[in-house]
Amino acid sequence: MWAVKRMASTSASSAALTFELVAKCSTTRARASVMTLPHGPVNLPMFMPVATQASLKGLTPEQLEGTGCRLCLNNTYHLGLKPGQEVLDAVGGAHKLQGWNHNILTDSGGFQMVSLLKLATVTEEGVRFLSPHDGTPMLLTPEHSISLQNSIGSDIIMQLDDVLVTTSPDKVRMREAMERSVRWLDRCIAAHKNPDSQNLFCIIQGGLDLDMRRECCKEMVARDTPGIAIGGLSGGEAKDDFCRVVGACNQLLPELKPRYVMGIGYPEDLVVSVALGADMFDCVWPTRTARFGNAITKDGMLNLKREKYAADFGPIEDGCGCPCCRPIDEEGSMGITRAFVHHNAAKETVAAHLLTMHNVWYQLNLMREAREAIIADRFPAFVREFFGRLYPDGQGYPSWAVDALQGVGIDLNS
Amino acid sequence: MTDEAETNPAEAMTFEVLRSALIDGSAARLGRLALAGRKTIDTPNFFALTSRGVVPHITPDNVDKHLDTGGVYMALEDFIERPQQHQKRQPPIYDTPTTKRHPRPLHSFTATPPSVMTILGARRIPAVASPMGNTNTSVSVFTSQGFQVLTTKEYHQAVATLQPDIAIPLADLSHHGPVTPTSKRALRMAERTDEWLGSYLADLPSLSKTATYAPIPPVPFPIQWEYLSRLSEDLLPLKKIAGLALYDPDILPDLLTAHQNLTPLPRLSLSAPPTPHHILRHIALGTDIFTLPFLNTVSDSGLALTFSLTPPPPTSPSSSQILPLATDLSTPQNATSLTPLSKNCTCYACTAHHAAYIHHLLSAREMLAWTLLQMHNHAVLSQFFADIRASLLSNTFTEKAALFARSYEPEFPAGMGERPRARGYQYKSAGGDGKRNRPAWEKFEGDGDKKEVGVEPGTRSEGLETPLVPDEVDGTAAALDHMGFAEIEHGAEQK
Repeated sequence: MWAVKRMASTSASSAALTFELVAKCSTTRARASVMTLPHGPVNLPMFMPVATQASLKGLTPEQLEGTGCRLCLNNTYHLGLKPGQEVLDAVGGAHKLQGWNHNILTDSGGFQMVSLLKLATVTEEGVRFLSPHDGTPMLLTPEHSISLQNSIGSDIIMQLDDVLVTTSPDKVRMREAMERSVRWLDRCIAAHKNPDSQNLFCIIQGGLDLDMRRECCKEMVARDTPGIAIGGLSGGEAKDDFCRVVGACNQLLPELKPRYVMGIGYPEDLVVSVALGADMFDCVWPTRTARFGNAITKDGMLNLKREKYAADFGPIEDGCGCPCCRPIDEEGSMGITRAFVHHNAAKETVAAHLLTMHNVWYQLNLMREAREAIIADRFPAFVREFFGRLYPDGQGYPSWAVDALQGVGIDLNS
Repeated sequence: MTDEAETNPAEAMTFEVLRSALIDGSAARLGRLALAGRKTIDTPNFFALTSRGVVPHITPDNVDKHLDTGGVYMALEDFIERPQQHQKRQPPIYDTPTTKRHPRPLHSFTATPPSVMTILGARRIPAVASPMGNTNTSVSVFTSQGFQVLTTKEYHQAVATLQPDIAIPLADLSHHGPVTPTSKRALRMAERTDEWLGSYLADLPSLSKTATYAPIPPVPFPIQWEYLSRLSEDLLPLKKIAGLALYDPDILPDLLTAHQNLTPLPRLSLSAPPTPHHILRHIALGTDIFTLPFLNTVSDSGLALTFSLTPPPPTSPSSSQILPLATDLSTPQNATSLTPLSKNCTCYACTAHHAAYIHHLLSAREMLAWTLLQMHNHAVLSQFFADIRASLLSNTFTEKAALFARSYEPEFPAGMGERPRARGYQYKSAGGDGKRNRPAWEKFEGDGDKKEVGVEPGTRSEGLETPLVPDEVDGTAAALDHMGFAEIEHGAEQK
C-alpha cells in the first residue's frame, strides 16, 4: 500500500509524505532531513509544541508561526470531546477550526484513556471504559480513533496502540500489548479513509525489552507506514533504559523514514535522542512549565517567580532570538525583561503567553541549531557545548547521557 | 519623529480642537492629541485600560499589531505592592533602566510599544473601595498584597521617576459607588484635591516630560468652584496643566460656562460609562477621551460586541427590532458558525478566525478565547469612535446618536461564558457572593481520591491546565458516543 518510490538514494516518497535525507553526522547517528507534508515542508530534527485543544495556550496561530513552528500537535482525545466529530466535520477539520495553515499531528487518543481513566481495560476489540459521569460502559476502537483523526484532517495521524507503562514487570502482558498493537495497526490501516492526504504512523511498543522491541520493529516496518513512532516511553523509566530502547529501535528502522519519539521534551533528552538517530519529538512540558513561571534557557531553567528576578532588567535569556528577548532596540522586539515577567507571573495571562512564546522558540531553536551542526558535520562539538552550558563546572553530567553519547562516539568528559 | 521635541518635551504634547459643533446644545467636538514619536490620537477616542501594565490577555506585540488604541491607562497601585517577605524593598519599577527606543521608565518596564501613549493614575478604573479613608497627605490604594498607604510625596516622586506621557495628580476620592458625598465631605474632597495639585506641581521637576491632566473630583460645581477658578486663573496661564481628567463629565456644562479659557484643554473622562449609550451622552457633554472598563468585562464574559454607530438596515421594512449590543459566543448556535464575530469587522480575530473557533475556545476554557475577544472588542470600539468622528465632521452626530439610542438595547446581555480567574487585586467579593465560575471538573464518582492526575491544584480555573476528565455536560456516555469518540456498549454489564 505504501509503495516507496526511490527517486534517489537520499529521498523517499509515499502518497502524502516525502522524506529527504540532507546530511548524516559522521560520528553519531544524528541526521538532518526535510519532511514534506500536505501543509508544507518541515526541517528535521524538530520539536513539535502541543496545542492540546486546538490552541497553543494563549498564543495566536500567528504568534505560533512567529516562533518558526510549522508542525504542531492536537490531541484526538480532547478534540473528540470538544468540539466533537460532528463539529469538526461541519467546520472542515482542525486546520480550519484553529486557522492554522501549517501541519498538524494528532495522537490516537488511547494514551489519555489508559492513563487517566482508572477503570479502562484493554481488550482485543479496543479500550473499554466507563463514562466518567454516568458509568455507562463504552468502547474505543482503532476504527473510532482513525475515523476521528480523519475528521480532524491532521497531516500525520497515529495508530491506536496498546500502551503499557514501560516499567511494568509483566512480560506476558507486555508481549500481548506489543502484538496487539501490531494487529491494531492493521485495523487502523484498513479503516484509514484518506491515505492520500493524511499519513498514518505506526507506534513501536515492547516496553524495555530490546528483543521485543526489535520484533515489533520488524513487524511494523513490514507494514510500510510513511513514518514510524517509538511509543511507550517517558513513563517514568530510567533514562538509561530509555536511551537503549531509542538506540536499538533506530538501528532497525529504515533510513528514509521519519522517526518520532513520543512524549519527550527536556532539552537534554532531545539532544541525546537526536544523537541516537531520532527526528521528531513532542511534549507539553515546555508550554506547561511556562505557565508556572519557568523559562527554559541554555543555562538551565529559571523560575521567574523568584524574588531575585523582581528587579532583573535583563532579557529572559541573553542572546535568545525570540520576540521577547531580541535586543530591545531591535525592530520587532518587545523588550520583555525578567522583571516584567516576574511582575505578572501567575497574575496576568500575558506573562504566561510571553514565557510560552520564549520556551517554544527555545525548543525549536535547539533543534534548528542541532540540524545546522549536523549539516556542517560539527554535531559532536554542538553536543559538548550544549552540555557544557548546562553543567558549567564540567562536573555532574548525568551518567545516562554520558553513557548514551559514549555509545555513539561522543565523550562528554573529553 | 524628530528630536526637536526633546528640548522641551512637556510642550511637545499638543491638543488641537479641529471642530466644535456648538449646535443643538451639543458640546461634542473633534480634536487631535499629538506627541512626538507616538501615534496621533484623533478624538473623540478611548484609551485602553491595563491591569498590572498590560492590556488584559494581549501581549505587547499584539497591542502594537492588532489594536488601534493610541493610549493605555496604568494605575500606580498595580506596581507598588510590598510582598510579605520583602516589606522593605523598593518597588522594582522605580529602578527601570531606559533605552533609546524606550526612553521613559514606565514604557520600558511595561514593554509598551513606542507608538502608544501612557497615562498614569494612582488607582485602577474602577478602583476597589478602601475601608480606610484618605488623610491630608495620603490616599489608600489596593495592591496585589492588600490595602496600602500611598503618600502624596511618593506619588509625585513616582510620576517624576516613571515619566508617563500623561499623569493625573491625586484627587481625594471615596470610590464608594454612586453614593453622593455629604456636602462637608465633598468640600473636603475639593480642598484636598486643590492642595495636592499644588504640592504635585511644586514637587514635579520643572523640566518634567510629563503632561499633567488636572483631576476634577465628582462633586458639584458650586462646591469646587474655588479649585476650578484656580485652575483657570492661575495654573492654566502658567501652562502647568495640559488637560482635564474628569471623574464625572456632568460637570462640563457648568465648568465651560464659567471658565471658557479651559475649553482648549483635552478632556479625559475617568467615569466608566457602562454602555455605548453613555459614551454618546458624554461626547455630547464635551468629553474627548474615555477609559472604558466595560471592554475588559465583556471580553471576559465571552461576549463579542456587535454594535456600530449606524445600525444595519432592518431585515424587513416593517420590523422595528431592537438590536443587541453584543453576542454571547458561548451559546451553542455558534458551534459551527464560520462567520466573523460581527458583520464586516476587519479585526484580526474576525479575519483570521471565526465564531466557531471562539466558541470552541470558550467551551474548552482556552485562554486564547479572551485574547481574540479583547482584540475584537477593542476594534469594535475603535470603529465606533471613528464613526462618531466622521459624524461630527458631517454634522450628523446628534441624529446618529438618536438613531443609535432607538436601535440598540440599553444594556449588554449577560455573557454565560466561563471567565478567567478573578484576580484578587482587581476584584473584591462582598459577603454572600456566590462563586463567579461554577466549580470546574468535579471528581469522578467512585474514585476515592479527589486529586486529579497530572493537574496542579488551583490551576484549573485560571485556564492554565488542560482538563483530562470531561465535565458533566460533555462527558456523558451519550455525548461521547454522539461525538464519535467511542461507542456505548449495549448489552454490556455495568459493574
